[in-house]
Amino acid sequence: MNIALAQIAPKLGDVAANFEMHTDILEQARKKKADLVVFPELGLTGYTLKDLVEEVAFDPRADRRFGRLVARTKGLSAVFGFVEESPSEKGLFYNAAAFVADGRIVHVHRKVFLPTNGLFEEAKFFAQGREFRAFDAPFGRVGLLICRDFLHYGASYVHYASGADAIVCVSAAPGRGVGGGDAFETGRMWELMGEALSYFSTAFVVYANRVGIEDGVTFAGGSFVFAPGGRLVGRAAAVDPDLLVCPVDLGAVGRARRNWLFKRDEKPEVIWRSLERIVRATED
Amino acid sequence: MLPKINAPFVEKVLVRFVRDELGKCGCRKGLLGLSGGLDSAVCAALAVRALGPKRVHALIMPYGGSFPQDVRDAVALARRLGIRHDTIDISPQIDLYFAADPKASRVRRGNKMARERMAVLYDHSAREGSFILGTSNKTELLIGYGTIHGDMACAVNPMGDLYKTQVRELARHLRIPPAIRRKAPTAGLWPGQTDEDEIGLTYEELDEILCGLVEGRLSRREIVAAGHAPAAVDRVLKRIKASEFKRRMPPIAKLSPRSVGHDFLYPYDWGK
Repeated sequence: MNIALAQIAPKLGDVAANFEMHTDILEQARKKKADLVVFPELGLTGYTLKDLVEEVAFDPRADRRFGRLVARTKGLSAVFGFVEESPSEKGLFYNAAAFVADGRIVHVHRKVFLPTNGLFEEAKFFAQGREFRAFDAPFGRVGLLICRDFLHYGASYVHYASGADAIVCVSAAPGRGVGGGDAFETGRMWELMGEALSYFSTAFVVYANRVGIEDGVTFAGGSFVFAPGGRLVGRAAAVDPDLLVCPVDLGAVGRARRNWLFKRDEKPEVIWRSLERIVRATED
Repeated sequence: MLPKINAPFVEKVLVRFVRDELGKCGCRKGLLGLSGGLDSAVCAALAVRALGPKRVHALIMPYGGSFPQDVRDAVALARRLGIRHDTIDISPQIDLYFAADPKASRVRRGNKMARERMAVLYDHSAREGSFILGTSNKTELLIGYGTIHGDMACAVNPMGDLYKTQVRELARHLRIPPAIRRKAPTAGLWPGQTDEDEIGLTYEELDEILCGLVEGRLSRREIVAAGHAPAAVDRVLKRIKASEFKRRMPPIAKLSPRSVGHDFLYPYDWGK
């Protein structure tokens, strides 16, 4: 199958323009024979929203524009990032990503870890998600993460433990550090962690970051796909927009797990009991 | 340790920044004050790479004939870059103002000149529909070595996250002429003034201290242990604290549930 990394520069706060951009890129990816198209975190809204959060939010199951975009995924899968406000939780806004396949919403993940330090202020404006749950996509089992979720390694462990073939992270990671090569130094961190995770999880690791500039902050790009066992399948441009199609062989997951028996020998119940003890001790 | 930069990558990021920031506002013309010094030279070179020489306008604004070599260097650079440039002598307005107050200190006079240049730039910006590109570097911003509402005023600042020593590195990469790169940095408030004399530290040492404090999050004790004189570190810390007002919008007295500057929070790029 082909995984397309849609490394776009969304227009901040202009949802109509971003729907148009997503529709265009989706069609371009379809022409390039993509089976899965991954758009970045908050791609439909832009990232540095602050009080605009409430203006750009929508319910993915009721919003007409989103419905039209979902309808365009006939025959393929896509991940879209947006601000979710559900009818049952009015006034609560989630930094969310929907996995959509063949014209229907399969899963919506709400970002659990909201960075709120330094230049980040997500928890000021978003409610936090409370769950990591892998799900079945047409091509295999998928676990979704949003940006900072990826940097908390318990999050990807949950997807690993639930048998994910692919851990997909959508991101709006700003670039920091210019003392390195022809990319921001922080991009190295993401790639190194993605590579390591592809060994730990014996799964595909898909990372779709954005580009563009908001309020002086340049988003770093450098989206990538790792096959199980640290094999780099593709890396998108640093800083510039890109639509990179990565051919992947999902059979690699089974092969990797026959070579490296981490998954067979995993003991989630031991991890769980140990964690439970730690959490109980913290609560006492 | 001085923070090194990969100059070609920095150029790439800053060129995109200038192009993108102006583009978001539907503006394609950049305007800046060219002093004959390093920072404005680097800013002009970046602007030319971002917008093309025909879309960059430089104003050279000497006070009478007080810095003739800087004016010559500024004109030569503008010609070399192929950008439009105008020289405007600000001495008539300044002299008229201080005729009523002849005992004004040279700092007051210098600040008045910096604000006069700001006023001329903003008037040209309105006349031509161009964006003012700021030239304050990170070193100046951190120690407050600039005139608030004067040379610190701008629409966008591509230079503000580069220490002075990094600006020098970028200048070499951008092939800024040696005549500009080698001269002693000066705020140009009065003849003979140099930044390093006034601050009492070389830019190398100042940037090392600042980089330790800001990038490295080191404590005063750790910076001193790294080999810097306690008095120098204290002077830098004092300057940083005393100049926070120059880096911020002034506080607004809060009365309502939602106030500008407190909890009415929108991106700078709102609606662009």
